[in-house]
Amino acid sequence: MEKSTENNENDRFLKEGGNHRPSQMHGDFLGTTVPEGYFTQSKISILEKVKHQSQEKKKPKIFWMQPAIRYGVAASLVFALSITLWLEKVNNSDRIDKNALELLSFSDDVLVNSLFIDEADLDDFTKRTLINEVVLQAELSEQHLEDILINSLFIEDSLLDSYTSDRLLETIIL
Amino acid sequence: MNKDIELVSKLKNPALKDIAFSELVDVYQERLYWHIRKIVITHENADDVLQNTFIRVYKSMTGFQSKSSLHTWMYRIAYNESIRLLENNNKKAHHALAEVPERYLEMLFEDAYFDGNDLQKKLQKIISEFPKKQQGIFQMKYFDDLSFRQISDILKIAESTLKSSYYSAVKIIEEKILQ
Repeated sequence: MEKSTENNENDRFLKEGGNHRPSQMHGDFLGTTVPEGYFTQSKISILEKVKHQSQEKKKPKIFWMQPAIRYGVAASLVFALSITLWLEKVNNSDRIDKNALELLSFSDDVLVNSLFIDEADLDDFTKRTLINEVVLQAELSEQHLEDILINSLFIEDSLLDSYTSDRLLETIIL
Repeated sequence: MNKDIELVSKLKNPALKDIAFSELVDVYQERLYWHIRKIVITHENADDVLQNTFIRVYKSMTGFQSKSSLHTWMYRIAYNESIRLLENNNKKAHHALAEVPERYLEMLFEDAYFDGNDLQKKLQKIISEFPKKQQGIFQMKYFDDLSFRQISDILKIAESTLKSSYYSAVKIIEEKILQ
């Protein structure tokens, strides 16, 4: 019985494979093909895309627009703002403000009040106390002296008036 | 293998990278294309994946540590890119990935770059009926001409398992093709 030609062909089908270019293998056995000149064109396309990507990478960007710089600056600003707000809060709560410092320096009990003052503010307090105790007191004293002088003038006048009035009459009469 | 090592060292040298990459494309383009084509079916899809594969290879070359061979590494990239395309297409077409095998032959025979005769269509049909892994093993061994060791590196399957799967596939094809 003759073996069918078709079966012979089928039988040899896979056995003839191997050691061919992949395109030929796929074309011969699987019926899959590619357009003519495809691999040459594909290579050009691949190399162009890779070159384009490399050029994109090398393109100089504006220094401050680079992500690392941008994010760094933004982070620094946020940090600086946070620190400023925090320090302000801390300073206000812990340190006596200048108004309070003025009031304390006006108080009579300087020694007791100095206990409430931080070491950092002590110089300031001392200066203010000095100003109050010495300078202002001096001014007050001066003013007091002026008052005494004026008063004395009034008294003198009044005494003179009195003396004048009595003595004059006496003198005139006698 | 030695040629691959030489190529890798050139690719890692910035001064020689572009020339070496051109050489790499010459050596691997066709093989990778057919490896991809068998997964993504159509020529248009295979073209897209091939380009993406080489771009990824170019970008990742500095990180390539030679733990596997260049050949294996590139095949794995090609495989991953192929699967990524199929998953994206499936999302767009609202098809589950599991449904793709059912449409495999339909898409293949409708492709503009398939002009197989009845015998070739018959072979395609027989191969499509194998489990996915066995399909890959047979195609890589027979059509891509890879060694069992190379296939083992790519698929992470023991060589003994690969051999058994391959010869089983060959036997089934030989029986069915004669029917």
